[in-house]
Amino acid sequence: MVESYDIGSIDRSEVLRYMGYAGQSMTAELEGRIDGCMKRCLSVGGPRGVWRIFDVEGTGTKEDGTPCVRLAGTSLELLGTSMQKHMEGAVAVGVMAVTVGMGVERELRRLSLTDRVGQVVFDAAATTLVERTADACEASIVAAGHERGLFANFRFSPGYGDMPMATQPVLLQALDAQRQLGITLTDTLLMVPTKSVTAVVGLFETIQPSTHASCAGCPCFDFCTIRPTGHTCRG
Amino acid sequence: MSAKGPNTGEERWPKDRLVPHSRRVRDEHLAAVLRGEEFLLLDGAMGTQLQARGLAAGELPELLCLTNPAEIREVHASYVSAGAEVVTTNTFGANAAKLGDTASVAEVFSAAVACACEAGARYVAADLGPTGQLLEPMGPLPFDDAYGLFAEQVRAADAAGADLFVIETMADLAEAKAALLAVRENSDLPAFVTMTFGEDGRTFLGTTPEAAAVTLSSLGADVVGINCGLGPAAVAPLVKRMLPWASCPVMAQANAGLPHVVDGVTTYDVGPEEYAEAVAGMLDAGVTVIGGCCGTTPQHIAREHELLAGRVPAERHVRDSFAVSSAQEICSLDYGQVGVIGERINPTGKRLMKEALRSGDHDYVMNMAIEQGRAGAQILDVNAGLPEIDERAVMCQLVSELQGVSTLPLQIDAADPAVIEAAVRSYPGKALINSTNGKAQTMADVLPIVKHYGCAVVGLTLDEDGIPATAEGRLSIARKIVRECEQLDIPRHDVVIDCLTMAASTDQTQPRAILDAIRLVKQELPGVRTVLGVSNISFGLPFRPLVNGTFLAAAFSAGLDLAIINPCLTRMMDVVDSWRVLSGEDESAQYFVANYAGRGDRAPAPVSAGEKAAALSAGASAAPAVAPGEPADAAARACELVLAGRKGPMPEVVSQVIAEHDPMYAINEVLIPALDVVGERFEKGIFFLPQLMASAEAAKAGFETIKAAVDASGQGANVPEKGSIVVCTVHGDIHDIGKNIVRMLLENYGYNVIDLGRDVPPQVVADAVVKDHVRLCGLSALMTATVPAMAETIELLRKEAPWCKVVVGGAVLNPEYAKMVGADFYAKDATETARIAVEVLG
Repeated sequence: MVESYDIGSIDRSEVLRYMGYAGQSMTAELEGRIDGCMKRCLSVGGPRGVWRIFDVEGTGTKEDGTPCVRLAGTSLELLGTSMQKHMEGAVAVGVMAVTVGMGVERELRRLSLTDRVGQVVFDAAATTLVERTADACEASIVAAGHERGLFANFRFSPGYGDMPMATQPVLLQALDAQRQLGITLTDTLLMVPTKSVTAVVGLFETIQPSTHASCAGCPCFDFCTIRPTGHTCRG
Repeated sequence: MSAKGPNTGEERWPKDRLVPHSRRVRDEHLAAVLRGEEFLLLDGAMGTQLQARGLAAGELPELLCLTNPAEIREVHASYVSAGAEVVTTNTFGANAAKLGDTASVAEVFSAAVACACEAGARYVAADLGPTGQLLEPMGPLPFDDAYGLFAEQVRAADAAGADLFVIETMADLAEAKAALLAVRENSDLPAFVTMTFGEDGRTFLGTTPEAAAVTLSSLGADVVGINCGLGPAAVAPLVKRMLPWASCPVMAQANAGLPHVVDGVTTYDVGPEEYAEAVAGMLDAGVTVIGGCCGTTPQHIAREHELLAGRVPAERHVRDSFAVSSAQEICSLDYGQVGVIGERINPTGKRLMKEALRSGDHDYVMNMAIEQGRAGAQILDVNAGLPEIDERAVMCQLVSELQGVSTLPLQIDAADPAVIEAAVRSYPGKALINSTNGKAQTMADVLPIVKHYGCAVVGLTLDEDGIPATAEGRLSIARKIVRECEQLDIPRHDVVIDCLTMAASTDQTQPRAILDAIRLVKQELPGVRTVLGVSNISFGLPFRPLVNGTFLAAAFSAGLDLAIINPCLTRMMDVVDSWRVLSGEDESAQYFVANYAGRGDRAPAPVSAGEKAAALSAGASAAPAVAPGEPADAAARACELVLAGRKGPMPEVVSQVIAEHDPMYAINEVLIPALDVVGERFEKGIFFLPQLMASAEAAKAGFETIKAAVDASGQGANVPEKGSIVVCTVHGDIHDIGKNIVRMLLENYGYNVIDLGRDVPPQVVADAVVKDHVRLCGLSALMTATVPAMAETIELLRKEAPWCKVVVGGAVLNPEYAKMVGADFYAKDATETARIAVEVLG
């Protein structure tokens, strides 16, 4: 459940997309700078994740009427309408936290003080890397669900929809993420290292419309442990 | 020195806090443990045991001390039966920040200590875990706030009857230091400190075992070590790296391997037998305090108990090297090795540095740090002594910011003890203090700070009678300083004597006296190190670098350990590197051959810091200023460079424009029109963000060249001031990219940008706006959670600076939100902000 991921490359087109690229022609100098940042990000990054699967204990509403999914063996509750919809019919929930580590954070800090063009490019590279790390962690949850004969939907993070940011402290505590990954929270509930992601994945007894539709376009493809066994997460 | 003594000003700690006091040690066995003469066995995991008993993930286990003390007592008792002498209280996260309003810190500690006592523990260790928030500068938590959280725990635990403290699972050396200082200043009980390392041999924040051992044992930890993170086999080599550097006993509490899930249950796979085997290896290496962390059980502890029976502590060899440390790395010198202290971060006689410190624009300082590190500095001197600035505040800010750009240990260079103390207190490492001297008052002011904060110190050989002319006179002052240090238990290897360089041109007996003094100090005061700033020697002579180099070589030969020089001067580093071959430090001359093979005997030209910085940070290396196909006219070329975002050749080309025309032409006819084109291209989507920024960066290099030229010609009045703008990311928000982009563009348009950084409290913003009567303030927020802080800041600005217009921006904002928080303008991007600035300020 605590994992390090071997991520050997960063998708350049993703990095460019984060910077608002729309096919502009670039000088060789800028191209070189972007490549340099991606390389540096891979070398200082330490993509790691921690995840656990909790059974769904029940759903209901809080006193104030907020929809709520309760999980067994943890005080973590998944609140909000969007969460209720995301978890509708789920029998278990994979809870995950990933980070690319303090090395990336320190580099961002250094660039913020010394090279602001570099900071923008490096930040885009680091965002790409942490999303990739989340793909890898999600793949582990999908595989663990598959072992139990369950089908996964996709990851959903606090702060999106109406899932409250206040979920963060309990979620991180439930995964012991500070100790395992070094993720801390500010009192405004932002994670440091900033290039960290928390999310939940629903696990269902039946295949979901939102289950990864095909292996070709699946973000977890490179990290999938099901395919090598001759199966897919769709059965 | 300022009239302010070290004990005036903000009084947050007891007045006698710098007076070394003895420890309150429960009994003779524990005293022997602290001397490293006997073993001590701690308990194993609490969390794992509680989870096995059904504690829900995500709950605060500390509250069980109050709600289910019997359960906690049972876990403790099981470890006592297994042979644990020390029971660690169930208080890992029991700080005010984590407990919130669920319970008070005092309640939890009182209940937790009671549980441990009732379980029959011989010693009760009050457990202090991390605060849960990351400290500045990487995180938002100020050092003093972390200290406050720990101090509250320390007082509660001491009052509840604990026998010692275990500060554990620390990833951040600054946080470990805050906790240790909280124990030292609020209790006289022993403190054990352990940090947690990963497979890469570093903590999450990058601290090495050596840096932890050097810093924490110097700071007065009674035991230092490693806990959690890894299994015992992986901890063993790391704890062995600590042993030579810790001047106190060393402890290890490994996990029972790494956690994994079997059938939905978290399990650890290293059993008691395998665990004990790895621990035995650590005992053989010199570890004397053991126990367990996550996944260990009473069976593990019982097996360790057996291991200790009939065993005596292994002999240890603690190095007496000079060693200082940053949060990441140590810089150590064995006898016979020489080191380089970079002298450039010091405003004395340096116009650009003075300007940077005055204006608060620290980019220049940061680049200077990076440059010196690249050139071979091993320690960076930091001096913020300018009469017109708040030295204490600027010093602390520099020390904090430098951690972001350099991993080199710092030398805190100040005369005012209050400045020194403020800087070393929160410095996450072991600093070198520059300096004390032989004056009784100075020693009384500075040496207690050196001792209390576990620093090394430079001692200048001067006293009430000035600088002695003879070597013997200098030696006698050195003796006096060393004697004072020894009275405070400051070890000799932490004392570095500066025999003080005097100009050869005024007194030609001086060079020999200095060299003799170095020789005498090394001979008569074995263990003490020496340091020298060499460049004064050549004052008043031509070809100074040659004289400096020759003197440096002579000083090394006399026994000099640390040279304070400008490492960016090639000639000086040539002397250092070649001396290391002659002294045998550079084994088989490997470094020298690798770096000097093929070098000619052309006298190296001193490279100016600015030039080198520009050359080093220029994205693509030395691309020619005129590429094929580019226009030959300098003005047109400068324009092209801005559009292409190439800052490297800008200084040269802009200098040419100035030579051909004048500075105002370069601004109004070249740079500004080029930037207008850039803005237009960005608007139309022909440029995307990094291109806009690279262009801004190139233009900035051009503006700097113009500014330097105007300054040099003394026609400062010709460049019009366009007004100041305060920018920052609001309180609680740590994202600063957007703010940085805005800053770059505004600077380009000639505005004086006062950048307050990120996570800035409303009052700090208001104060900055009021101070310079600033007419435009830019606030950035990336997260919804921090928008209220934006509204609060604007409200305060309306009250305290009603003249100031406010522009807001950031990912979560839109025109409606901007109106809601009370802003005057919403800017969707940086170019929009620049347009608003023109509207407001002209």
